[in-house]
Amino acid sequence: MSLVALGAGIAVLSGIGAGIGIGIATSGATDAIARQPEATGEINKTLLLGCALAESTAIYGLVVAIIIMFVL
Amino acid sequence: MSLSEKLMEELVSKTAFTIPLFGGIPVQESVVVTWGIMAFVILLCLIFVRNLKLVPTRKQACIETAVGGVYRFFHGILGDEGKGYIPYLATVGIYLGLSNLSGLVGLTPPTKDINVTAGLAVMSIVLIEYSGIRKKGFKGFIKSFTEPVPFIAPLNVLEVFIRPLSLCMRLFGNILGGFVIMELLKIVAPILVPIPFSFYFDVFDGLIQMYVFVFLTAIFMKELMD
Repeated sequence: MSLVALGAGIAVLSGIGAGIGIGIATSGATDAIARQPEATGEINKTLLLGCALAESTAIYGLVVAIIIMFVL
Repeated sequence: MSLSEKLMEELVSKTAFTIPLFGGIPVQESVVVTWGIMAFVILLCLIFVRNLKLVPTRKQACIETAVGGVYRFFHGILGDEGKGYIPYLATVGIYLGLSNLSGLVGLTPPTKDINVTAGLAVMSIVLIEYSGIRKKGFKGFIKSFTEPVPFIAPLNVLEVFIRPLSLCMRLFGNILGGFVIMELLKIVAPILVPIPFSFYFDVFDGLIQMYVFVFLTAIFMKELMD
C-alpha cells in the first residue's frame, strides 16, 4: 500500500509544471493589462484559455494518481 | 484508515436504483441528478418564455440581455458561419453550469461521474468534426489534415482523439479534485471553515470549467472551419 501511495504522490508532481506555467501566463497578462488597459477583455479571454490548457497536465497527473490508487 | 475508506466511498459513482427489467438495469446517481436538472431547466423555460411581448417587461428584458450576451460572445468566436451551433453550445453551457453548481444544494455533481463528461466530450468532438465537414466538404476536410505540411498528418489525426480526451479529463478532474478536497475539509473541520473554500471550489471553479469547456469547443470548431 505504501509504495502505491508513493507512486500516486509522484504522479501528482506534474502539478508543479502547471503551477509554474500558469504563474508565468498570469504575470504576462498583468503586464499586458498594465500597458494596455483597453485590451483587458481580449487578454482575459486568452489568459483563461492558456490557463485551461496549461492546467490539463496537472489534471492528467491527478487522474493518473487516482487510477493508480484504484487499480493497484 | 477510516478517512481513506470514507474518501474511497465518495469517489465511486453510486447506483441510485435498479430498474427491474432484463435482470435489473442499474441507474447511476448522476443520471437521476441530470433528470432533476432537466426538470429545473424546463421549469425555468416555462416561467420565462410564457407570454412574451413586443415591448419587453422587466423580466423579459433581463432574459433578452442574457441571451443576447451569450449570442454575442459565441458570435465573436465563431463568426457568421457558425451561428447555427450557438444554441447547442449555450445549452451545454447551461447544463454544465447547473450541474457544477448542484454541489451547493447537497447533490452529487453529475460531472463528477466520468461517464457524463466522456459523453459530453464525444458529443463535442462529433459536432466539431461535423462543422469542419459541412464547411469544407468531405474532400476538403480530409485535405485539411495535411495542412500546413503533409508530414504532420499523423499528429493531426491524433488530435481528433486527444481533444475529446482532454476535454473529458479536464472537466472530470477539476470537479473531482474540488469534490475530494471539499470532502476532506468537511471531515477535518466541519464547521465554518469549508465556507470560503466552497465558494472557490463549488462556485468559481465550476463556472470557470463550464466556460472553458464551451469556449474550447467553440475555438476548435472555428479552427476547423477556417
